[in-house]
Amino acid sequence: MNQKPGVCTFCGTGCGHFMNVAGSTVERVFPSLNHPVSQGRLCVRGWNIHELLNTAQTINRPFIKKDGRLSEASYDAAVSLLVERLRGISPAAIGFLASPRSTNEEQFLLMKLARAVFKTNNISLASEAGHRGSLNVLHGGTGMAGMLGSIQEICQAEFILVAGSDITKQNPIIGSEIHKAAQAGAKVVTIDSRRTQMAKLSTTFLHITPGALKLAVAALAKYIFQEGLIDADFIKTATKGFDAFSAVLGKLSESEISARTGIARDEFKAVAEALSRSRTAMVFFSSGISGLDEDTIGYLYNLLAMTGKIGKPGCGVNPVAGLNNLQGGYDMGCAPDLLSGFQPLADQAAVKKFSGAWGVELNTAAGAPIYDLLSKSPSSLKALVVVDHDEGFIRAAEALGKLEFVAYIGAYQNRFMDHADVVLPVGRYIEADGTFTNTDRRVQLAPKKAEPAHAVLPGWKLYTLIAEKAGVKWNYGSPSDIMDEVARLTPAYAGISYKKLASAFGIQWPCNEKHPDGTAHFDIAMAGGSITFARVSGTFDMPETSADFPYRLMIGKAQDFWHKNNLMRKTFIPMREYNATLLDYPEGYVEIAPETAKALQVRNQWQVKVVSPYGELPLAVKISEDVKSDTAYAPYFAQDMIAPLLAGHPEIVQKGEDATIPIRIEKV
Amino acid sequence: MYLIKKSDVLNIAKALSAAYQVYGPVVEKVSGQTFFEKVDDISEITLAAPIPAAPPKSVVFPQAERIMSYRYAGGNTPVEIKPDYAETPKALFGLRSCDLTGIQCLDRFFLGQEFVDDVYRHHRKKMFIVTNTCVVPFKYCFCVCTDSGPCADEGYDLNLTDIGDNFFVEAGSAQGEALCKKLNLENASEQHRSEKNACVDKSITLFEEFSTESKAWISRVMNRVTTGFAKEDVWEYVGDQCFECGACSFVCPSCSCFNIADASGGNGSCNRLRTWDSCSYEGYSRMAGGHNPRKPVEDRRNKRFFCKLSYSQSKKYLRPGCVGCGRCNWVCPGDIGLPNVVKYIRRETTSR
Ligand code: SF4
Ligand code: SF4
Ligand code: SF4
Repeated sequence: MNQKPGVCTFCGTGCGHFMNVAGSTVERVFPSLNHPVSQGRLCVRGWNIHELLNTAQTINRPFIKKDGRLSEASYDAAVSLLVERLRGISPAAIGFLASPRSTNEEQFLLMKLARAVFKTNNISLASEAGHRGSLNVLHGGTGMAGMLGSIQEICQAEFILVAGSDITKQNPIIGSEIHKAAQAGAKVVTIDSRRTQMAKLSTTFLHITPGALKLAVAALAKYIFQEGLIDADFIKTATKGFDAFSAVLGKLSESEISARTGIARDEFKAVAEALSRSRTAMVFFSSGISGLDEDTIGYLYNLLAMTGKIGKPGCGVNPVAGLNNLQGGYDMGCAPDLLSGFQPLADQAAVKKFSGAWGVELNTAAGAPIYDLLSKSPSSLKALVVVDHDEGFIRAAEALGKLEFVAYIGAYQNRFMDHADVVLPVGRYIEADGTFTNTDRRVQLAPKKAEPAHAVLPGWKLYTLIAEKAGVKWNYGSPSDIMDEVARLTPAYAGISYKKLASAFGIQWPCNEKHPDGTAHFDIAMAGGSITFARVSGTFDMPETSADFPYRLMIGKAQDFWHKNNLMRKTFIPMREYNATLLDYPEGYVEIAPETAKALQVRNQWQVKVVSPYGELPLAVKISEDVKSDTAYAPYFAQDMIAPLLAGHPEIVQKGEDATIPIRIEKV
Repeated sequence: MYLIKKSDVLNIAKALSAAYQVYGPVVEKVSGQTFFEKVDDISEITLAAPIPAAPPKSVVFPQAERIMSYRYAGGNTPVEIKPDYAETPKALFGLRSCDLTGIQCLDRFFLGQEFVDDVYRHHRKKMFIVTNTCVVPFKYCFCVCTDSGPCADEGYDLNLTDIGDNFFVEAGSAQGEALCKKLNLENASEQHRSEKNACVDKSITLFEEFSTESKAWISRVMNRVTTGFAKEDVWEYVGDQCFECGACSFVCPSCSCFNIADASGGNGSCNRLRTWDSCSYEGYSRMAGGHNPRKPVEDRRNKRFFCKLSYSQSKKYLRPGCVGCGRCNWVCPGDIGLPNVVKYIRRETTSR
C-alpha cells in the first residue's frame, strides 16, 4: 500500500488528498473521500499538485553570492555567513518575511529565530493583505482570531451571504460546499459588482455598482434595524456596543443608498428579511489575497451580530483565507506585534511566559511589517530574510536593492534569488512531517511522504541549524516536539499533539481541556457570554463618475494571484488554465456589457482605448452579460498592462476586490 | 468452471505474483478508503472492499508518465531521443466489472483505431485480469443501465463470484484455464453455475435498494442527447455548475484525454510526460479546438456528456462511453456527476 495522506498546500480550504509516491516522485494524487472539509473533491490546482512537486525547478543546494553571481556552497558555509552578517546589524534593522505556505512548525521556529535569537520583532507574512483585518475584527469582537463558523457546518446554514468574493475560483471547494447547501434548499445571496459563477449559483444576486460593497452591507443592516428585524434578545443579552452601530445606520439616507449601490430598496429589504428570518446564517468573504478592508469586514460582522447569527451551529462570520497556511502564520505569531495564538507582544504576562520557556529576555520594542519598512525612504531596514516567496512579482524590488544583506530560504527557484546574498534550500512539502491550519482553524498533519530528492534539509532542521550557528541550542528531535512547544505556549493549541492529529482529519482550534476534540464554531460562552459590535467608520467613499469618465472600471484581482503565482508557473495544466482567458486576448481585455458595446459601436475583440484620470491604455473588448451597463471589468493580471492606469495610486489597488476607477472608453 | 474456498481465494493472487506485478483492492486504514493498488504483500488485498475510489485505469494509463526522454547539449551535438516507459507484466486482481469495461473502452481508443499507442500497448501487454462479480452494488452504481455489470461476461482471464462458502471461478482464456489447473481447483457443477446466476440476479434486484444515489435512465437519455432533444437551458443549468476541476475525467474509467508536456531536467535533458487531461478545462478545449472559438463552459460540459451519452460516440467504443461506476458523482464539486445530468435531462431541470 503506497497511499500517503496529506493536505493540499495551495489555498486555505485545506482539502485532503492521498499521494502515491515512488522515491522522490509523486506518481498520483487522489482526493480523500471521507475528509470532513473536502469530502472527495479537489479543484484544478489540487488535482495537479504533483506537477509542482515533481518539478525540476527546485533549489537543490545552498548558494552564496560572489562577485555578483550565486555560487554553490555548503550549508555550513552559507548558514555561517548568514549568521555573521546578521550579527553585524542592529536588531531593529533586521527583518523576516515569513511565508503563508510554510508549516506551523516552520512558522513558529522562524518567529522564534527572529525574536529570541536575532532579537527583532520585524516579522510579517507575505501576501497577507486583508487577513489581519479579518482577524482584528473577529478578535476585537469575540476574542477569537479565526473563522467563527466551520466549513463542515455550511450545510446547516439556512442563509448564506457571499460578499464580494469570486469564491468558486479562489477557494473552489468552499464554493462547492455553498453550492451544495443551495441545492439542498439554503438561501444563498451573492453581493458583487460582477456576475461571478457564485452569483449564477445563488438564489439572489445583488449586482451592485463597483465600489459600493460596504454601502450595500450597511444598507442591509439599516433595513434590518429599521424594519425591526434585529434579534433584540440576543443584542441585549449577549452583545455590547450596538447603539454606536445603530447610530451610524440611522444616518444613512435611503435615496442615497439606492442611487449609489444601484440596488432598489425592496431588493435589500427582501434579503434583510430572509437573513433575519433564517434560523442559521453565515457570511463568507475573501481574506488575504484580494481581501476586503477592515471597515467593510466590520459591517459584515455587525450584520450577523445584530441578527443573532454568531455563536450557534450553522452560523458565523467566515473570512476565507486565500493561502494554505495564512491562518497558521498568524496563529504562530508571524506578525510584529503578536506572539503565537494572537497573544499580544504588549502583554507582559505573555512575554514573561515566552521569555521563561525560551530562556532569553525577549525584546519588547515594537517591530513593523516588512513591506511598511521597505516602503519608507530611506528604509530603516538593512537586512532581510525571506522565506518561500511565491508571489508572481517582487514587490519593493528597488528597496530590496538598497539592503545590505538579503537571504532567501525556499524550496522552489524564484526571482527573489536574484536579490539574495545567501540562498538556503528547504525541502518540498512532502519531505517532512508538518501541520497546516486552514481557514476554518483546522490544524492538519501532513506526514512525510518522500525522501529528499537532493541533500536538502527540511525547514525545521535548517532553522535549528541557524540557531545553533548563532550560539543557541534548540533540542527538537522532530517536528512533533515543536508542536508540543507550541501547545505549551499557545492556549488555543494547548490540546494539540501529533499523536492526536495522526488518527484524525485534523482538529479545529481552540483545542484545550474544555474542548479536547477541538471546536467547530465559536460559542458565546468562550467570550464570557458577551461579544462586542465592531466600530465602523460611517463613511462610504466611492470613486465618482463624471461626464468625462462615465464608466466604473473594476479591477478583478481574484484570478490574478494564481495567474502570476511562482508555484503555478512550475505546473503545466493549472498554468495553462490560468492563461486560458488571455489566449483570446493576449494584450489584455476590458469586459463591457452588450449595451455599452452598442453605445460605443464596438464588437468583440475590437480595440478600444481606456482612459482614466491617471492614464490610458489600449485593450481589446470582451462583451459579456456579467457586467452592468455603466461598468467595465479588467482582470488585474493584465497588471503590467493596467499599470499606467493606476500609476501612483496604490491606495486603489489596495481595496482588493472592490478596487474601482472611473474611466471612459474610446473607440479606435 | 471451478470452485475455490473463500479462505483460499488470495492463493490465486499469490500464484500470479510469481510472474506478474499484482494490483488489487486495498483499504487505507485511517480513512477507510479503497484504492486499487500495486501490492507486494498479497494479504493486504481486501477482495470484498467497496468499489475502489479511483478506477484501475491508472495502471494502464497513469496520471503522469514519462513516455520519452531526450537530451540536447546545444550547438551541433545531435539530440538523443529514447522512448522511455516501463514494461512490466501486470495482474489486476479483483477488478469490478465496470472497471474492466472501462479498460475495454481505453483499448478501443488507444489500440483499436488507426494509430496504435505504443505506450499503452506496453502496459496492456502480458496482462492477467481477474474480475470479481459485485454481489451487492454500491451507493452510486448504475452499471445495470450501461450494460457493464454487475458481472463481467468477457475480457477477463478469470472471473470470481462469491456464492457463499466458495467463489465460483470462470476461466475466460487459455491462461486463465491453465492457472486453475495449476492451482488444482475443484471442478464446479451446473448446480454451482445456477447458484452463481442466482447471485447475479439477486444483485440486480438489489440496485433498487442499495444504489440509492443513481437512478440513471441511460438509454432514454442517450436518445435525447443524440437527437438534440436535450434542452439548451438544461445544458446551461449544467454548465453553470461546473467548477472546471477535471475530476470527472480523472475518475472516469473510460476517459482518455491526455496532455503532453516537456519537463526540463536542466542541462538540456528533458522528459516528455503524458498526463491526464480533461475536456472540462478551458485550456484543453482550446488546444484541441485549434483556433480559439470562445467556448462557454456549458459547451465544454456538453462535450463530456456527448462523449458518454451519444450514439455517435458509442460507435467509437462499441458501447456507451459511460460504464455506470458513478464515480463522477462522488467527486464533482458541482452537482453534475453523470447520473445527475441524466436526471436533469430526463426531468428537463433548468433551475433549482
Ligand atoms: S480548494 Fe484549495 S485546498 Fe482544495 S484542492 Fe483547491 S487549492 Fe487545494
Ligand atoms: S461517466 Fe461517471 S459514472 Fe460513467 S463511467 Fe465515467 S465516471 Fe463512471
Ligand atoms: S467533476 Fe464536476 S465540476 Fe469538476 S470538471 Fe467535472 S463536471 Fe465540472
